[in-house]
Amino acid sequence: MLNVKDLSVRLGQKQILDSLSFSVREGHWLMVVGPNGAGKSTLINAVTRNVAYTGTVLFEGEDIRRKKPAELARCMGVLAQTHETAYSFSVEEVARLGRYAHSPGFLSRGGEGDRAAVEDALTVTGMWNRRNRSILTLSGGELQRTFLAQVFAQDPKLLLLDEPTNHLDPAYQKQVFDLIADWVKKPGRAVLSVIHDLSLARAYGTEVMLLDRGKILAGGDAEEVLTPENLERVYGMNVYGWMREMLSLWKDPEETGTGDGV
Amino acid sequence: MKRSVKCTKTLAAVLAAAMLLALTACGSKEDGQAPSEGTVSSLTEQDSGEQSAAEDSAEDAAKEEDGSVTVTDMMGRTVTLEEPATRVVALTPSDCEILYAIGAGDTLVGRGTYCDYPADVLEVPEVDSGSETNMEQILALEPQVLLMSTMSQTEEQAKQLEDAGVHVVISDAQDIDGVYTAIEMIGTLMGKDEEAAAVIDGMKASFAEIEEKSTGDGSQTVYFEVSPLEYGLWAAGSNTFMDEVADMMGLTNCFADLDGWASVSEEQVLERNPDYIVTITMYYGEGPLPEEEIMARPGWENVTAVKNKAILNLQNNELSRPAPRLAEGAKMLFDFVYGATE
Amino acid sequence: MKSHRERFSAPEYLFFAALTVAVLCLCVCIGSVNIPLGETLSVFWDALSSFVQKFLFHKPADFPEGTVSSILLTVRLPRVLCVALSGAALSLAGAAMQGLLKNPLADGSTLGVSSGAALGAVIAIAFGITFPSLPFAGTMVMAVIFAFLSLLILLALAEKLDRSLSTGTIILIGVIYSMFVSSLMSIVITFAQDRVRHITFWTMGSLQGRGYADAAVLLGALVLFGGIILFHARELNAFAVGEENARHIGVNVRRVKLTLLIAVSGLIGICVSIGGVIGFVGLVTPHMLRMLTGPNHRRLLPASLFGGACFLMLADLVARILLNPRELNIGIVTSLAGAVVFVFIFYRTRRGSGC
Repeated sequence: MLNVKDLSVRLGQKQILDSLSFSVREGHWLMVVGPNGAGKSTLINAVTRNVAYTGTVLFEGEDIRRKKPAELARCMGVLAQTHETAYSFSVEEVARLGRYAHSPGFLSRGGEGDRAAVEDALTVTGMWNRRNRSILTLSGGELQRTFLAQVFAQDPKLLLLDEPTNHLDPAYQKQVFDLIADWVKKPGRAVLSVIHDLSLARAYGTEVMLLDRGKILAGGDAEEVLTPENLERVYGMNVYGWMREMLSLWKDPEETGTGDGV
Repeated sequence: MKRSVKCTKTLAAVLAAAMLLALTACGSKEDGQAPSEGTVSSLTEQDSGEQSAAEDSAEDAAKEEDGSVTVTDMMGRTVTLEEPATRVVALTPSDCEILYAIGAGDTLVGRGTYCDYPADVLEVPEVDSGSETNMEQILALEPQVLLMSTMSQTEEQAKQLEDAGVHVVISDAQDIDGVYTAIEMIGTLMGKDEEAAAVIDGMKASFAEIEEKSTGDGSQTVYFEVSPLEYGLWAAGSNTFMDEVADMMGLTNCFADLDGWASVSEEQVLERNPDYIVTITMYYGEGPLPEEEIMARPGWENVTAVKNKAILNLQNNELSRPAPRLAEGAKMLFDFVYGATE
Repeated sequence: MKSHRERFSAPEYLFFAALTVAVLCLCVCIGSVNIPLGETLSVFWDALSSFVQKFLFHKPADFPEGTVSSILLTVRLPRVLCVALSGAALSLAGAAMQGLLKNPLADGSTLGVSSGAALGAVIAIAFGITFPSLPFAGTMVMAVIFAFLSLLILLALAEKLDRSLSTGTIILIGVIYSMFVSSLMSIVITFAQDRVRHITFWTMGSLQGRGYADAAVLLGALVLFGGIILFHARELNAFAVGEENARHIGVNVRRVKLTLLIAVSGLIGICVSIGGVIGFVGLVTPHMLRMLTGPNHRRLLPASLFGGACFLMLADLVARILLNPRELNIGIVTSLAGAVVFVFIFYRTRRGSGC
């Protein structure tokens, strides 16, 4: 679906991305992981034409530079990490903005299709009952689901996620990721997501790409990419050991808890 | 926008008090006690005495045998100079006009930004005046006397100059009598008492002539426009020179119910339907003349003055400055209303 | 939270239009000169009937004459129309800027765009920039150009200082820019004193003495530039939610922004060249109406159009009759009202800035 070739981004003297080549295939969820400063967010910005880049980005064989903004929005949707709100738009109004790319003209009226798509998106994300709430009154998780509803209503083929659950509690993280996992199961869809949490990457991704200082260190199946050696090289520490240690803190009380209790 | 607001009573009181003071000072000198020269008394206020007596003797009292001059300015401050001033900076246009009228124009070493009459004054170095009054500029000209009005300068500024050795004399005429006082005061200051008296007599004579010849009984009205419609109408109300002059020739200022210069509603002008209109808008050589502009205003065609084309433009501040030219302005208005006499 | 429909419904349009007409009638009937209602009505009836006779049936007919009809038909009515159209234009421009910059305190006067436009007009007068065939077009074009340049400078400054354009930044930049412009204006006026003496006209604004021709120009500007803004209601919604988000959902951010900035400059520039700087109209009305209609621009923009007209007509009425027969500058009245609302909004955004 998305084919990236020799993608490079330079900011002043600094080479942020250095000739990346990869592709996202239909039905897949590509997780881009790597340490801070590896160029993960820049990758999303380049693919959405938000920063100048060299190389080619093809969407279904077509150069994205030749697409109009609305056309591009029908191909790719973005769910950003945070949202700053200023006005008390309702949840439904924000979701409905997702249909913009489908009727960008001055006089277009929202058709039946638009209404159905918005209703659907709000229902799927569980925001239907809260559709008249002001976005100023929402919790972080509700806000993120509102924008998820927007991007679902936008109905792109490729969904780009930039750390979508970084600031959310585990329950909301799971909700959002489960929703996206369901979404990508439909034919003709794919997800590219930038993420810090290696466990989430492993749990939900069908493919993983390990980025380090603007270069692809490894890509492919999670098993092959997220090896202790690779992670050690990129993060400069024993990630496996540390994660196991963290996990052990959890396991013991849980087991004893269930054993002793009830 | 400046306003001339008259506060005759207080002014008279202060004046009278000041002149009494001058009298007493003089009296003591005759006893052989010369006042320290060059001192400037700070603001003096006293209860008023007999005003007329003070006025009559003010001129004589100010002249000293040793050639020094003492004046009491219009804020009641007494200023004594060793000899009549030869280097003067005047910030207000009217003071410049008075200086030239009494033949002391050559003593002017600096003038305020807005001083523009007579044309000779434009050759005198300009100093910033009004809110931008620049002390350094003034001091650099080394004047003996700075003439200014209360309107634009603060007491702090006056104090500052006095500390630097410049005598500050304040003129603050609010009515025609005030103008006489100002002329007299400046005349004394410059050692030109006769010239000043002549100017005053000339003014008095022409006002008297106007008053005598005028046949108006107050039934005809005049509207003094001090700011044109384009920038928001302003009219001269009561306690202005224009009002005083109108009164003198038996005209009624149709905005006499307002005090000083005031922004007025266009509707009110139409409603009050003046018989004469006097505008002081300057003409800069492009577009319609101010008179034409008024006549072309939509809706004004029913105003008597517009119907009769009875609009006079006094664009050179003839009737807005407390200066000798008030007499000329009054004459122009008289000729306009009653027809030229000569 | 009550739900708002996406668009203005016909009854809502009717309500706002009726309200505007009612305020217009009120402002025409009340003025500095007290004219009895019956007389007012008869003048208008006569004017209307002779107008119909003349232009529909081509019969010779005399328009009413006399002082009363002069006051009503050539002084009061055109002025009230100019005021209404300026109010509509300024508040529409304000609403558009608040959406575009995602900041409820953005307005021509708070940002200094109006002052910039006034500077353009003053420069045009001072240096005699005119177009031969159109006597007043020089000031108008210069005012529009300077309004646009001001917006570009402000956005560039904001970009450099604080990309998120927080409330504090907006105020700071607006204050700095306004001071900068007013000192430039003082310099120009010092150089061209005799031509541009009336600085208060440009800084406090007044629509005294404005005629039908001015009203026609304002109407033209409102149809053209106001139309552009009204047609961009959805894009404004997107900007009001967030510029990044607008880009993501497929808004052509650069083009839409440029178009809207031109439209806003056009409205502000033309209003300033006709009536001087009338502050805070674009701040007060959209803010009050947002409480009524919600932030959706499809509803807010038409409401601002009518609401702005009503607000400014009432402010002008106060300016005309409060100190009768004296007159206040309309800008003094709007600034008084605006300053209070400004503090109120600032207080609210500061307290609610947690989200």
